Amino acid sequence: MLARALEHEGISTTSISLVREHTEKVKPPRALWVPFPFGHALGRPDDPELQHCVLRATLDLLNEPVGPVLRDFPESAEPGDQPPAPPQASGIKPAEQVPDDVAMETMQMRRYHERWLEKSGGRTLLGLTGIPATRFRGVVRFLEGFADGQDVEMPERPPEVPLPNFIRYCADDLKALYFEGHLAMKPAAGGEEIARWFWGETGAGRLLRRVRDRLDASDDPRWKAAAFGIAR
Amino acid sequence: MPRLDRLPQISRNNLLTFPAQVNDTAPFVRPGKPLAACRLAIVTTAGLHVRGDRPFTPGDQTYRVIPSDTPTRGIIQSHTSIGFDRVPTMRDVNISFPIDRLRELVARGELGGLGPSCYSFMGAQREVRRIETETGPEVARRLRAEGVDVALITPT
Repeated sequence: MLARALEHEGISTTSISLVREHTEKVKPPRALWVPFPFGHALGRPDDPELQHCVLRATLDLLNEPVGPVLRDFPESAEPGDQPPAPPQASGIKPAEQVPDDVAMETMQMRRYHERWLEKSGGRTLLGLTGIPATRFRGVVRFLEGFADGQDVEMPERPPEVPLPNFIRYCADDLKALYFEGHLAMKPAAGGEEIARWFWGETGAGRLLRRVRDRLDASDDPRWKAAAFGIAR
Repeated sequence: MPRLDRLPQISRNNLLTFPAQVNDTAPFVRPGKPLAACRLAIVTTAGLHVRGDRPFTPGDQTYRVIPSDTPTRGIIQSHTSIGFDRVPTMRDVNISFPIDRLRELVARGELGGLGPSCYSFMGAQREVRRIETETGPEVARRLRAEGVDVALITPT
């Protein structure tokens, strides 16, 4: 759809497609369907060779004389080590015992996250709230108050960002801290393993389930949407 | 993506009921020159943006500009759907925004060059009217003004 808007203005486009069924309907001018899971459009992270292969096949479509053209990348290229989509919280049974003190747990994760930053050269997906990891104790307290049904607020919330959206940014930043921290602890861990650990074994996972429950109990569709985005 | 029948039911249902646009034909502009002479820009629907830029919200039909010389550590993602795995993006943003790979193609002379800006939209949109009629064409006009011949469109 975006491709069509660009072509109408004279820009040639070529796209990578993840959902073949959708691409067949939308009919972009040129698309390469790839057999990779969501979140893996170019194949595998830190695998420049495979990424170049996908890129080359996508750019080659520009040589096609007529369109629309939808070509398949070889299915044998599918990485067999990852599930098609990460497991959801509802499918993961929490452990009998998870840490009660989430603020303390978060401070411990911060140490691992600092290691992650050293290894990644400063790359992190943490940053949607604009609150640095050093002040995440406050984010945890805010989320705990919200989950407990209190009327909570954070001075860092910009006035134009509605409360449920801000809560989702807080949840996403917290997830980034834990997931990237886990990658520093266990560099080979995949998304499924980290999701099982986060939702099953951490106090933060339990807290976000409770945040989700309060959002989902609301009649306001924006609250429900935030709940669906945090845990399902 | 792997075939729909391999997905968990909740994801499959979400995709099967997704209101994808249905078209019979497609506009088709052939690049007037070989790739080695083309200027290219990434247009992504992965909800990426420069750190500190305004995050996307669900249903947001606006776009963000990512200067092509932005270092990868300066890029974050507010498309945080839990339907997909974010770990690959944490490891390597090239997984949906192959800016380093494109720089390599330019260095090897296989691609003419990069436009000064890449553009980013939010993905998984159910209502796209404004992108179709307003923000999409606006990005196209900006790309044209920046001398871009080819857009590489990438999802999350």
